[in-house]
Amino acid sequence: MSGDWARLPERGNLLALRLIRWIALQVGRPVGRALLYPITLYFLATAAEARRGSRLYLRRALGRQPDWRDLFRHIHCFAATILDRVYFLTGGLDRFEIEIFGGQRILDQVASGQGCLLLGSHLGSFEALRVIGVNLRHLPIRILMNVEHNQAITGLLEALNPDLAGTVIPVSGPDTLLRVQESMEQGFLVGALGDRVVPGEKTVSCQFFGQEAAFPAGPLLLAALAECPVILFFGLYRGGNRYDVHFETLAERIVLEPRRRQEQIAGWVQRYADRLEHYARLAPYNWFNFYDYWREEAG
Amino acid sequence: MEALSPFELEIARLLVETLHLEDIQPEDIKPEEPLFGEGLGLDSIDALELALAISKTYGFQLRSDDNQNRRVFASLRALSQHIAQNRAI
Repeated sequence: MSGDWARLPERGNLLALRLIRWIALQVGRPVGRALLYPITLYFLATAAEARRGSRLYLRRALGRQPDWRDLFRHIHCFAATILDRVYFLTGGLDRFEIEIFGGQRILDQVASGQGCLLLGSHLGSFEALRVIGVNLRHLPIRILMNVEHNQAITGLLEALNPDLAGTVIPVSGPDTLLRVQESMEQGFLVGALGDRVVPGEKTVSCQFFGQEAAFPAGPLLLAALAECPVILFFGLYRGGNRYDVHFETLAERIVLEPRRRQEQIAGWVQRYADRLEHYARLAPYNWFNFYDYWREEAG
Repeated sequence: MEALSPFELEIARLLVETLHLEDIQPEDIKPEEPLFGEGLGLDSIDALELALAISKTYGFQLRSDDNQNRRVFASLRALSQHIAQNRAI
């Protein structure tokens, strides 16, 4: 959710973030939503890299050449979820209609006292899930987040909800996953996003919308080492004030045999990519990786 | 080139074996070279896997709340010293 901004030009990025935050806090959602149109237009006109990324993705997801209306809709969807993020963080859940699918799996997991990996993506918004889970239901959730790379988001958005900020495990140094594993041992559900590659970390090549793309192997290797279940989540924005949150089990346990480790982990990451593709087809404009995801133009 | 102490070599073997570093010989690891990032190029998954292997082999757990971790994971030498000081087995 956050890294997209890091990939847009730093200046416009911070400015837009401040602007949306200000609008959300000062003028209310109806006016704020009206203002999203000029903001979206501004981005459509100025963020060339985001536009290119959007076009490359939409061509695959829609199965046709996207036109400017598709691009507008894509960026607008992103801006709308950022605006709503401010409301989620400041406790304005009442104004939303949030439908949860498969939520019993999460409650069962919490009741078992065993930790697990909650694996999401940059498809849609994870904020509704985070706020419902932590603030409303008081579930033992922690979120692995790259705080250093997202200082703007952390300063401007996370600061709005100190309770939630306290549940973040920052990515920092080699012992980060040690901390994650300890949290899981203590029964925490640890949330992470599994669709963006971090330079220097292990990757697996997967089929995604019919073409190879690199996915991080780390999250599922972590689940294998921690011997914990993996539950996928997708918080899809459905327009207006509606969000659908989907949970489904990817694996009760990931067991890797030493000799077939590479092949087996690749198989699991491919299953994740398949489910991501499935939900991306359900809500194509929710894809918030505004860059050349398949590295088609990398040469 | 500086030679590894026998215990450093033991840890180097554990490292290569645990992390499936097929193209690296334990005795070729430089004791002061960084393990993560540049140097050996390990990542945080490797760190976790290594920590689990150390706990199994030497009977003590590396904990994330230990603020010496950055130093402990800095090089083979630092890691070996830390294990030698804390091992229960």
